[in-house]
Amino acid sequence: MNVYARLVYRNLRANLDRITVFFELIFPLFFIFIQGFGLGGIIPDFKVGNAILTYPQYLAAGAVTLTVINSGTNAGTQLWYDRKNGMFEQILMGPFTRAQYILSIILATLILGVVASSLVFLIAFPVLGTGLSVTPFGVLLIAVSVFLGTVFFGTFAIAISVALRSSETFQIVSTFAFFVFLFVSSVFYPASDAPGPIQLATFLNPLTYTTDVFRAGLFGGLTPFNFLELGVLAAESAAMFALSVYAFRRIRV
Amino acid sequence: MADELAVEVNDLAKRFGDKSAVDGISFEMKRSEVFGFLGPNGAGKTTTIKMLTTLLQPTSGRAAVLGHDVRTEGKKIRERIGVVQQQDSFDQGLRTEASMDIYGMVWDVPSGVRRRRTEELIERFAMQEFRKTGSLDLSAGQRRRLQVAREFVHDMDLLFLDEPTVGLDAIVRRNVLDYLKERVKQGLSIFFTTHILEEAEYLCDRIAVINQGKIIAIDTPQNLKRRFGTRKAVEFRLLEGTSEPLVQALKASGEVSDVSQDESGGYKVTTSKPESVIPEIYRAADRLGLSVSSIYIAETTLEDAFISLVNEKGAPR
Repeated sequence: MNVYARLVYRNLRANLDRITVFFELIFPLFFIFIQGFGLGGIIPDFKVGNAILTYPQYLAAGAVTLTVINSGTNAGTQLWYDRKNGMFEQILMGPFTRAQYILSIILATLILGVVASSLVFLIAFPVLGTGLSVTPFGVLLIAVSVFLGTVFFGTFAIAISVALRSSETFQIVSTFAFFVFLFVSSVFYPASDAPGPIQLATFLNPLTYTTDVFRAGLFGGLTPFNFLELGVLAAESAAMFALSVYAFRRIRV
Repeated sequence: MADELAVEVNDLAKRFGDKSAVDGISFEMKRSEVFGFLGPNGAGKTTTIKMLTTLLQPTSGRAAVLGHDVRTEGKKIRERIGVVQQQDSFDQGLRTEASMDIYGMVWDVPSGVRRRRTEELIERFAMQEFRKTGSLDLSAGQRRRLQVAREFVHDMDLLFLDEPTVGLDAIVRRNVLDYLKERVKQGLSIFFTTHILEEAEYLCDRIAVINQGKIIAIDTPQNLKRRFGTRKAVEFRLLEGTSEPLVQALKASGEVSDVSQDESGGYKVTTSKPESVIPEIYRAADRLGLSVSSIYIAETTLEDAFISLVNEKGAPR
């Protein structure tokens, strides 16, 4: 079996906490079905790109991309479990390179991200389904945005997990970062209508680009700006990937 | 000649900032040999193992493992070694049986071979009662047993064991050591560190003693005892039980380093000249109207030699 397949399988079997994954799936559903419908009565339909959306539809698309952040956090957790339980050094003393090990965590995270997004999407389908306008090209862009978003947040979680000295600190810092990324993004509101400083911060956030492209791909509202967003997302993901590899190489064993 | 060596180390050093953890050590370990690597805490044992297993880059010097350079051929080395670390290592989401199976899978051992070896090892290491128990629910000793057994699911030519029996009871420990001996007879080489010196004596063909980052002796256990076991012990019993005046009389003798008494009333006299001390014990007992019921010279242990060696050539940090 291929070395990556072996390491990814191990990551998924050994380090995946089923209860955590369950709650990570439940979490976006609360936004979709509680917040979405709760606020839907007071927020009128509005235009996003070339599409007119209800607030529940708008929020449901954003909530699906939340799974991208959740999966990213899993990458850091996988690395922390291995470090805490002595398996990090054990694996590195096996027939693998550091690059293979770190890539296997990212690949496992990607699998989680795609599977979790698909599941949340299916559950949210009654909300999203009425306005969907999906083309093969739109599906491709959705796949690319989820891929890049997962790479960014996965490698971000790896970088902070390397930098921090305890798993407890990692949990606190990653939860805090999670909320910053979540609320300073276009998940809950259109960034273009936010006040200037928030708008600026929102447009630095890769979750904004992941969500915008995902949403546009679902509702047929793709604009040239979405392609620019995809380019920025790719650049940010590449930069974070390089940073995490650099940080990982400096882990003291 | 190089093909006969499992490990070849020349002037190897590792520094962390201004602190020297390993300071220019050199030694050779033959294939199918059990090579003990002993030293007090912080002597440099684990750092040396980390360099030989390619986890740490040396600061200077050269080391080859199974003929491959640790600096440039790390993967070739790692493909042919096994390591049981000093610290615990376990997959927290897996049960004992699955831990062994997935560890073998990671090493690309075919599934049929993995299943067979897992069964054999579970039986050999007496792990049946916790084969379905999750790693987090295992006791420290059970987890340690799993950690050692797991390493034998994959093939290797050289096994690094860094204090592998910590937390194991005496019966399990002997079982593990006997299994290691069997594997050595089949051609496995073992690089072994421990603080339990009886284990080293039982298992090792040769022993290197490291202290403050430097190797201070390399020899067979027998030769180390002969060369460095300067203090011997004379053990005796009295028909009358115990006698404090006799203890005081012996302690006053210039040839005696120490006199101690065990729980059953036997005396242990530490000395470098047991042949002179034995007549003195008889004379002192006579003067006090006591009778010696048994007396013998106790064999020098590796622990005596180790303590003497480390104290003589540099106190532990």
